Amino acid sequence: MSVRPLAGLKVLDMAWVVAGPVIGRALADFGATVVRVESSRRVETSRLMGPFPHGKSDVQQSVLFENCNAGKLGLTLDLSTSEGKAIARDLAAWADVLIESFMPGQMARFGLAYEELKELNPGLVMLSSALMGQTGPQAMMAGYGNLGAAMAGFQMIVGSPGELPIGPFGPYTDYVGPRFALVALLAALDHRARTGEGAFLDVSQAEAGIEFLAPQIADYCATGRIACCQGNRDPAFAPHGVFQTRGADAWVAIVARDDAEWLRLAQIMGGATLAADARFATLERRKANEDALERRVADWTATRDGEAIEAELQARGIAAHIVAASEDFVRDPQLTARGHFVRLPHPLMGETVFESARYRLSDTPAVYERSAPTFGRDNTYVLREILGYPVARVAALEAAGILV
Amino acid sequence: MSRAADTRARGFLAPYRALDLTDQRGLLAGRMLSQLGVDVIQVEPPGGSAARRVGPFAEDAPPGANSLYWSAYAAGKRGITCNLEMPEGRALFLRLVARADFILDSADVGVMRRHGLDHGNLSLINARIITVSMTPFGETGPKAHYADSELVVWAAAGALYPARDHRGVPCRISVPQAYLHGASDAAAGALLALFARHRTGRGQHVDVSAQASAALTTLSTTLAAAVGHANYQFPREVPGKKSSLDLSGSGSRTRRSKWPVRDGLLELHLGMGSASGGSTNKLFAWMRAEGALPDQFADWDWVKLPARVLANEISAEQLDAARAAVGGFLARFTKDELGRAGLEKGILMAPAMTVEDLVKSEHLKTRSFFETVHEQGRPRTLPGRFAAGRNRGFVPLQPAPALGAHNAEIYGPLGFSAEALGALRSRGIL
Repeated sequence: MSVRPLAGLKVLDMAWVVAGPVIGRALADFGATVVRVESSRRVETSRLMGPFPHGKSDVQQSVLFENCNAGKLGLTLDLSTSEGKAIARDLAAWADVLIESFMPGQMARFGLAYEELKELNPGLVMLSSALMGQTGPQAMMAGYGNLGAAMAGFQMIVGSPGELPIGPFGPYTDYVGPRFALVALLAALDHRARTGEGAFLDVSQAEAGIEFLAPQIADYCATGRIACCQGNRDPAFAPHGVFQTRGADAWVAIVARDDAEWLRLAQIMGGATLAADARFATLERRKANEDALERRVADWTATRDGEAIEAELQARGIAAHIVAASEDFVRDPQLTARGHFVRLPHPLMGETVFESARYRLSDTPAVYERSAPTFGRDNTYVLREILGYPVARVAALEAAGILV
Repeated sequence: MSRAADTRARGFLAPYRALDLTDQRGLLAGRMLSQLGVDVIQVEPPGGSAARRVGPFAEDAPPGANSLYWSAYAAGKRGITCNLEMPEGRALFLRLVARADFILDSADVGVMRRHGLDHGNLSLINARIITVSMTPFGETGPKAHYADSELVVWAAAGALYPARDHRGVPCRISVPQAYLHGASDAAAGALLALFARHRTGRGQHVDVSAQASAALTTLSTTLAAAVGHANYQFPREVPGKKSSLDLSGSGSRTRRSKWPVRDGLLELHLGMGSASGGSTNKLFAWMRAEGALPDQFADWDWVKLPARVLANEISAEQLDAARAAVGGFLARFTKDELGRAGLEKGILMAPAMTVEDLVKSEHLKTRSFFETVHEQGRPRTLPGRFAAGRNRGFVPLQPAPALGAHNAEIYGPLGFSAEALGALRSRGIL
């Protein structure tokens, strides 16, 4: 087996839902030992969410949970008990990295505030991921990523002009936060390797989201313009849209990136007549006549098969792709060719499926060792092998109902 | 001001240097690394990066110097020109490779190889070099050479399908996002390769696909078909219909969670069930205290409501009436008032912020999140460090470079005099 970039890295993962757990997932993929702590009594939200095998809800078979937690060891712990807190503290002393995404202040109530832990473990790199960050007047704002999306400006910029915005799909900042968090965390670890210094990283999911609107922030400050809903249009391209194709709820995205591409597209759709239509000759003209332009494209796509459109336009170098539903996504030849879907044995599902790492390293690729944990799957391993607790102590903890 | 003269924090990644060849499809990766102290040198063709022609555009600068996309995502970098189409340009570039740790690129698949700048060749000059390629669909596979645009990548990632407008049309985010997901993943990929290098002494190549990266934004709904979960991804939303009850509490289908209030919109998912019914109960308690709760909802417990709905004790019409009562109540307030009420009362709701609200946010001001830099005297306000807290990891933003601004500073130490650089410029190499 090849060298694993993060072999030997010890991670205590107390994060939940998506924004936090995605970070530890990446660390596990590249060789870190990640101990995910959770409660089987206060079941974390992503376990309640699907998809589930054959649509049958089961908190131990959530594909979302699998996707965020594959590769980790699982420890169930009742953190409301002093014994539970003591175990978490032992793990924090063992760990190089602690990741958590509770409300600000919760870790202190567990006796796991950074200020205390760094006395115990000066080299610890602790990363707290919260909706609004750990400080500031709105730090105690609770909520999921849909509120993060609101606090990051995304709820106002999805939809058609003049209509009530629809907002992005799902908890959008949950998808942005972990990317910034992972980079900050890896950088802190590199620094630590050179200096021995630990760090506390306060990641605000809303702030991470705003990084993805940096040009619009600059625009408001420079010009006063406020980013708003544009439907699927883009000031730099036309056509730039989503069009219905043959079949139920089937769509294709088509973009002409310059005038030459439009001419090729026009030739395909309407021959020389359309290609010569002065209303559409330049980007400026196409923007001025965009309603008519889009109707023309929509008429052409309506009776055709989406994949055939994609193939025909791509063969002529025109940007087009079907709007992939799950059925399309899982059989996309590109994704399957690149090993995007990882399948591993799972005690309840028979086989689990999750997405591969988004970083393909040529010499030291991700390795997928295990499915996400079922409740308490690795309790014994973590307590005996990692923390070195005697058998009798583990049995006592079990009997006392701490490991739930 | 050169970095050497900057006596403030040097950043977690101060020892490293990156050569950044990316356009708008990858510009963010180097920006993130530069914020952590990497010396990122943006290498542009003599005519300037294509990213300089990406909007939005400022009105206080001439074309070529007015891209706020460039201002935002080339910030923190130094900038040089180098014509990689010419052998002399490539030779010059290779001299820089010898002293670099990372090469970042977002060229179309095959371009780097055509220029002899693929990892195999670069590693002959510098075995420790880490090359990171950001491409729309990845460097391998049947779609590797697909014509791309942000909307098309978003569609291929499955990100477009579940976001529907009021007519059911898949709708993208109006600010392009797909390449940003890829670029931010690429920054992490570069660092993972750095950890491998610490063990092996060798660099390697990292291949990041924006399609695969953007797929994370689907909340794993794209995997439904892989496990036979039918009709999961986009159930038709019929108010109160049993199959459409969303008990997750996350409000992932946000179209119905927008509430017009006095000065804008509020985001509030009227959740039921154990995950978020408690929050709705708190909202109803507030409405009751304000005398705004119709009697017919007085005994509703939103935690237990799903069972009553499924047992047909509560009809779709009643749920709609409850929504209407909530809408009428919320409409009395401003975003700010509701934001504070949510915080005080523990109700999961938030003002839907505009970029103006963000810039004016007291919270973000308290956290010193925005930083203002000056590009030839023109102020540019940008989101700054992406992690706060007790650490010395981040360096302050520097303005995005003007075209070739650091040619002398970077080529000079290679032995080029001002005259020699002038000659290279006139020959179209710089």
